[in-house]
Amino acid sequence: MLDNFFRAQSIAVVGASRSPGKVGYDILKNIIQYGYDGSVYPINPGAPEILGKKAYPSLLDVPGEIDLAVIVVPSHNVLEIIDQCGTRKIDSAIIITAGFKESGIEGSKLEQELIKKAQEAGVRFIGPNCLGIIDTHSKINASFAAGMPAKGSIGFFSQSGALCLAVLDRALPDEIGFSKFISMGNKADITDMDIMLALAEDDNTKVILGYIEGVSDGRKFMEVAREVSRKKPIIILKSGITTSGAKAASSHTGALAGREAAFDAAFKQSGIIRAHTLNELFNFALAFANQPVPRGPNTAIITNSGGPGILAADACDKSNLQLIPLRKEYVDELRTFLPPVASFYNPIDILGDSGAERYEKALTTVLKDDRINSIMVLLTPTAVVDVEATAQAVINVARLIDRPVMTSFMGKQRIDAAAKILLKHGVPNYSYPEEMVSSLNAMYRYHLWLQKPEKNFPVYDGYRDKATHIFQTVKRDNRDRLYELEVRDLLQVYGFRQPKSLFARTSEEALAAAKELGFPVVMKIVSPQISHKSDIGGVKINLQNKTDVEIAFFDITTRVRYILPSAHIAGVLVQEMVPSGREVIMGITSDPQFGHMIMFGLGGIYVEVLKDVSFRIAPLSREDAYEMIRETKAFPLLRGVRGETEADIEAIENSLLVLSQIASDFPDIIEADINPLLVRNRGKGVVAIDARFTIGGG
Amino acid sequence: MISLYVGSTSGYTGKTLITMGLGHRFIRDGLKVGYIKPVGILPVKVNDVLTDNDAWRIYRALEMKDPLPEICPVVLTQELEVKSYREGIKGLMAKVVKSYNQIAKDKDVMLIGGYGSIYTGSYLGLRGLDVINRINAKAVLVVKYEGEYIVDYILQAKKDLKDRFLGVILNKVTQELKQSAYDYTMPFLQRKNIDILGIIPHDSIVGSITVEELNEMLGGKVLCCHDKLTNLVEHFLIGAMQVDKAIEYFKKMRNNAVIVGGDRADIQLSAIESGSVCLILTGELYPGEIILSVAEQKNIPILVVREDTYSIAKKLEKLSVRLRLRDKAKVERGMNMVNEHVNFSLLYKKMGINHM
Repeated sequence: MLDNFFRAQSIAVVGASRSPGKVGYDILKNIIQYGYDGSVYPINPGAPEILGKKAYPSLLDVPGEIDLAVIVVPSHNVLEIIDQCGTRKIDSAIIITAGFKESGIEGSKLEQELIKKAQEAGVRFIGPNCLGIIDTHSKINASFAAGMPAKGSIGFFSQSGALCLAVLDRALPDEIGFSKFISMGNKADITDMDIMLALAEDDNTKVILGYIEGVSDGRKFMEVAREVSRKKPIIILKSGITTSGAKAASSHTGALAGREAAFDAAFKQSGIIRAHTLNELFNFALAFANQPVPRGPNTAIITNSGGPGILAADACDKSNLQLIPLRKEYVDELRTFLPPVASFYNPIDILGDSGAERYEKALTTVLKDDRINSIMVLLTPTAVVDVEATAQAVINVARLIDRPVMTSFMGKQRIDAAAKILLKHGVPNYSYPEEMVSSLNAMYRYHLWLQKPEKNFPVYDGYRDKATHIFQTVKRDNRDRLYELEVRDLLQVYGFRQPKSLFARTSEEALAAAKELGFPVVMKIVSPQISHKSDIGGVKINLQNKTDVEIAFFDITTRVRYILPSAHIAGVLVQEMVPSGREVIMGITSDPQFGHMIMFGLGGIYVEVLKDVSFRIAPLSREDAYEMIRETKAFPLLRGVRGETEADIEAIENSLLVLSQIASDFPDIIEADINPLLVRNRGKGVVAIDARFTIGGG
Repeated sequence: MISLYVGSTSGYTGKTLITMGLGHRFIRDGLKVGYIKPVGILPVKVNDVLTDNDAWRIYRALEMKDPLPEICPVVLTQELEVKSYREGIKGLMAKVVKSYNQIAKDKDVMLIGGYGSIYTGSYLGLRGLDVINRINAKAVLVVKYEGEYIVDYILQAKKDLKDRFLGVILNKVTQELKQSAYDYTMPFLQRKNIDILGIIPHDSIVGSITVEELNEMLGGKVLCCHDKLTNLVEHFLIGAMQVDKAIEYFKKMRNNAVIVGGDRADIQLSAIESGSVCLILTGELYPGEIILSVAEQKNIPILVVREDTYSIAKKLEKLSVRLRLRDKAKVERGMNMVNEHVNFSLLYKKMGINHM
């Protein structure tokens, strides 16, 4: 895919310039100076020759075949050049030129025309408003970046050109190797997804790195990422995450969502490794590019000092990694050559007087334990240690095994040279232990992702038709909210158990209802103007007898008269009092980029404050449902604390899946929540106590 | 014995407080005063007796001894409402008259508190105008002064009340509208032979509401400073501007509550710093720890509500016309204003009471 971009045999630079400092000059110079061996055609109507290459007045005048056009002409000329590409059957172009969508309404229109024109001409393009691309293997540097990264296996794409420059500049002194650099610009034609697919097929790329600000089609993005991440790790830094999305949400479950949650869920569900900072992006990339993925959580730490060892151990504790003690035989072996005051358990402290030899012996011994899936080597530059020799010792061991080895030689002045040696031999070195641990952990999590079975998406067929009429009525009435009784019907259709309930207009009717249901009962106000009943004191529970019911009826209806005199009080709902259980909340929200998301969290009155909720993009797989429950901090409460019986977690999973089905069946839903969903003990199921559904989109 | 119906041409004009003030003065002037509210719209149970909240407050303010159940013979509960619409109820007027007679027995003056306007209540067979005629009462109209156009309603009422009409009390006259009242409305009414029995200025303290009541009305959650829920709020401001403008704006109004999005930490801080008495955070967005701790230091309660700023502002606008008379200091201040601004000698004369 996109071969003509990265393996072009011939490149034309349209808008090549003779003046140093101009983009049209820099690009041509970059293509020539880094050893590209294909044909290069500068296009410039006013120059016979640029940088020693014969120039042509237009694309149409170039005698030979052209695989790739790099366009640097002013924006109003770009369409014409695309036309010419079509004529010359050039199917790939990089549009460096700015002045499109990013520059306002006129530019936006121009970009639309560009897209149309390119389709007509059969041209795929990267950009506009981008920095260009670099391929270190085919030695194409069709960019105006200063410098060419070392050859390597990291494929990097970025929505921001400036970030490309920064990453490149950061990579140069450490000789961090890249396979490809792609500045995406406005992504008018070729998108992140195209690039991910191309990098997935690229043999020179081992790990895919991306910086994105937003995606155009969230669903498609996930689909592609899911496919690609099975082949190669994708590490992405996503910026532009703010709470502004929360403002749009109208009820509290929505308010908890926002865009951050959507991306977070999307990344988790498609196996994307998320970097939260540029530093992390780099760190992770170095790990993946240079070391094999650990096949298990067990790790060992070898250190020449206590403090850093403890820091690393702390970091492990917060990660998915585990520090396990070595088998006795290897501990005994360590005792044969380590000083007696050394620490033989993980982290293994071989003491500050260690030289390279002791490091190598310790490493070799530890790695004899086949339960250890990875190893981390810590070094503080003591007076006695020969840092470079130790680096060499690590390399000697690392190249013999197919388990990941990472180092954190801490410091700068005495470390830099060793760090370079290490990296050159494929051992990434990290300045701080926490960075090393989080990078190793990212690799382990990727291993877990690869181990995951294909997702199982249960389908609950045959309910939709029975509920369609409900949504039709709501739409016909031009409402956005389902009435309480409609919500009951909907949940009924989808098999949610709900408390039995009866409608009553007067206290006499309420009493009759209570007798029919059996005491104790719950009473709730029914009014089209009131959706959050308990906020205004519209709910009374545990009504034991006639007096309770009469008082409750009086209190509830009177309260509404005081607070909302204009509200129509239809009556009250008398409900059976459901035996106690643990309260959770689940809901549907709608994200502009990813569509429906399913939410799960601890229920009750603290939900807004604690925000202990998890999200997944719908439709949910069984695994998603499983994970999102366990992701919440409240999960131990469901499993039971202090001798409590376990709650019916399986029933929660099923409910989440059914809710996801409702979301799929009715795309118009923009917001829904079941709050609370009462979870009874294991095997006893769940009961939907209260719920709300809102539709939109006309 | 003379009976005086305190009515109006629309709801929420301040009848209850004025009735209270009149009653208080009548008692002070040595009259034996009775009170009845034929129809109550704020049901409340006092020692198991169903009555009306406003009636109950007047009952207590005037230290009445009459049997409580008779004070408000018809209370509009949900039950009664449902029945009156779905089945129809007869005999309510008779019930009212019976209660009235019982209380009126040994009184010099009977005050009768209307609900809504004098035209409200037909569906119960208890239209204000009909009650006035049935029990042979005189009537004063309390008019919330919103501009000269209100004379239209007064003229109509005069026509309907005929010689039972004693005059009007213009209530809640704001500074802005004072001139309109004196320059236009007064000469007009005098020309039409309508007596002005009082002009009561608007008072922001009487019109104020406690933070606690506010929270109850808005269905919010109190996040801090629970001991400051008695703070009186006189004005509401919306915090939607830039910070530098905000502080200036907030400082201009005494005892203000600021309505602001929960995510606008800058405005929240400005409000706290400029001495607002309460923050109302909208959109169910909770403030950060820093805001909470500053609010706690300055002792300013924060309410979090579900709706957006506009909806809350709309609600509050409605709220301000139907304030409750729960606060004792507020009630006393209100009664004093009635005493000060109602022309009692004229009122007595019109009522035919020879007094002092």
